[in-house]
Amino acid sequence: MNMLEISHISKSFGDKKVLQDVHFTVPEHAVYGFVGQNGAGKTTTMKLILGLLPANSGSILVNGEKVSFGKNPTNRFIGYLPDVPEFYPYMTAAEYLHFCGAITGMDSKEYKKRAEELLELVGLTQEKHRVKGFSRGMKQRLGIAQALLNRPRLLICDEPTSALDPVGRKEILDILASAGEQTTVLFSTHILSDVERICDQFAFLHEGKILHQGSMDEIKNSCGESGFEIELEQEQDLNRLTKRFPGGFQKGRTHMVYGQGNAPQMESVLAWIVQEQIPLRKIEKSGLTLEALFMKVVGK
Amino acid sequence: MNDIQQFLPLLIPLILLEFGLLAYTLWHILTHTHYRRGNRTLWIVVVMIGMQFIGPVLYFLLGKEEG
Amino acid sequence: MSTWMAFLKKEWIELVRSGKFFILILISSLFGIMNPAIAKLTPWLMNTMSESLQESGIVVADMTVDAMTSWAQFYKNMPMALIIVGLMLGSIFTLEYQKGTLILALTKGLSRRKVYGAKTLICVGLWTLCFWLSYGITWLYNSYYWDNGTASSLIPSAALFWLFGVWIFLLMIFFSTVFSEVSGVLAGTGIVLLASYIGGIFPKVQPYLPTKLLESQALLTQSMELSDFSWAMAVTILLAVAAGITGMVLFDKKKI
Repeated sequence: MNMLEISHISKSFGDKKVLQDVHFTVPEHAVYGFVGQNGAGKTTTMKLILGLLPANSGSILVNGEKVSFGKNPTNRFIGYLPDVPEFYPYMTAAEYLHFCGAITGMDSKEYKKRAEELLELVGLTQEKHRVKGFSRGMKQRLGIAQALLNRPRLLICDEPTSALDPVGRKEILDILASAGEQTTVLFSTHILSDVERICDQFAFLHEGKILHQGSMDEIKNSCGESGFEIELEQEQDLNRLTKRFPGGFQKGRTHMVYGQGNAPQMESVLAWIVQEQIPLRKIEKSGLTLEALFMKVVGK
Repeated sequence: MNDIQQFLPLLIPLILLEFGLLAYTLWHILTHTHYRRGNRTLWIVVVMIGMQFIGPVLYFLLGKEEG
Repeated sequence: MSTWMAFLKKEWIELVRSGKFFILILISSLFGIMNPAIAKLTPWLMNTMSESLQESGIVVADMTVDAMTSWAQFYKNMPMALIIVGLMLGSIFTLEYQKGTLILALTKGLSRRKVYGAKTLICVGLWTLCFWLSYGITWLYNSYYWDNGTASSLIPSAALFWLFGVWIFLLMIFFSTVFSEVSGVLAGTGIVLLASYIGGIFPKVQPYLPTKLLESQALLTQSMELSDFSWAMAVTILLAVAAGITGMVLFDKKKI
């Protein structure tokens, strides 16, 4: 079952073609990373899904129902977090969540209970001030809370982490990952490590076109084909290593990278290290990274 | 003297309202530090010299921060 | 229905917490008191000044004031009240466009018509409240000091001005769906108003224009009859309904 099906969407503003034949599907219960540089068309795609903008051609299905511009019954399946969420500044976080619950037609007992749970989840329970004085990170957290309020089947987040510091980013990613256990998550980002951390599928959008889509398994399975990295404690040990196993590329004083081709097997190197009792700092398979893949498909 | 008494039902509410409006606006200005346009001194002057209700109206239209 | 009420409640909270409601109630009361106050104080002021005026050769005739003087002030001041309420509410849509606050509400499946309906009700409702509050206060003072019976057709006359105000608010809401900036909304409304004024220069079309309603004071002195306003009334109601409906349709397709 696909939660979201986007088929052959094109959109232009005046002469500027923002999206060309965008085509991808998000299966149910996926955490889907929508990757692209700034200005690639990510926000436009999301606004089309939400029926906030009309598409020039193509169709979008949410939970099997067609999205039409202006009227948005499909939005009842969706929780949306915009890139810069704006709330009514004169309300408190709890009041805002109650307002959201009421306008979606939830039962008042239920949305009050749910608001409490969500404020707990995003860590705003103690916050009694009005939204007016909220920081960027607090607004983002309230944004996630409001998006999850009516238990959406599909959670759409537009660049949820880009404006945050590393701690705030980790918090938001953890919240999204735990949300992914109950719902389908589609989020856009230009930070590839975010995708590696929590996504199981992804698509690359570049200059309005989908250049690649795939699953993280594909990335993980490609490991081993492209060698490994090894880091030792001492410099003289590294010299012994290079003599014993030539064909590597020295990256630092104690850091060696073995690429493809005539490189030794990782197992034999490990066996040698154990045998010689060489202090080891780190050994790691360096598979195909998302970054390498992105650079390859973008053509740089 | 008789005259004044005759005017009291008009004057008392009029004065109360004028001062209420002035006090409310000044309270609003003094409890906020950011304004959409202008600064605190400007708005206090405008509200004080603004004819009757014009000063407060101008403040709420142009000076008051959203929210 | 309950989702509409929830959005209406949000509008109400906004009105109260932004201080606008309080200010408008104060100002409407002030307007209500000012009308009889000016009527009452003018002869007294004239009297105290008459001596110095006589010295400069101006003879002041004894002025008689009655409820009619106060009602004349009422019709002189109400356009100002309309402008103030209009300016205060002019950004009711555009502020939400600018800040993007409607996006979240709409993406939760709240229908645009409910947003439109709630905002329309707030505008018309607040105008109704402010106008009739001023009217009520003036009426009370007038019957305390003088006799309201000297003026005829008080309510119909006021209702015509109120109707004019309702038309102005529906125009503003209509332009709020066309423009995204408050300046556009006010300019659009202003231009339509101006067109109606200019149209009033031509006696042939004047009886059919909404601005004709601004002469409703003439009902008090019976220099005009209610039937003289039938056409203007019908046209105004028609234009108001048309503005309301087209606005609603445009709002459905507005890019937010």
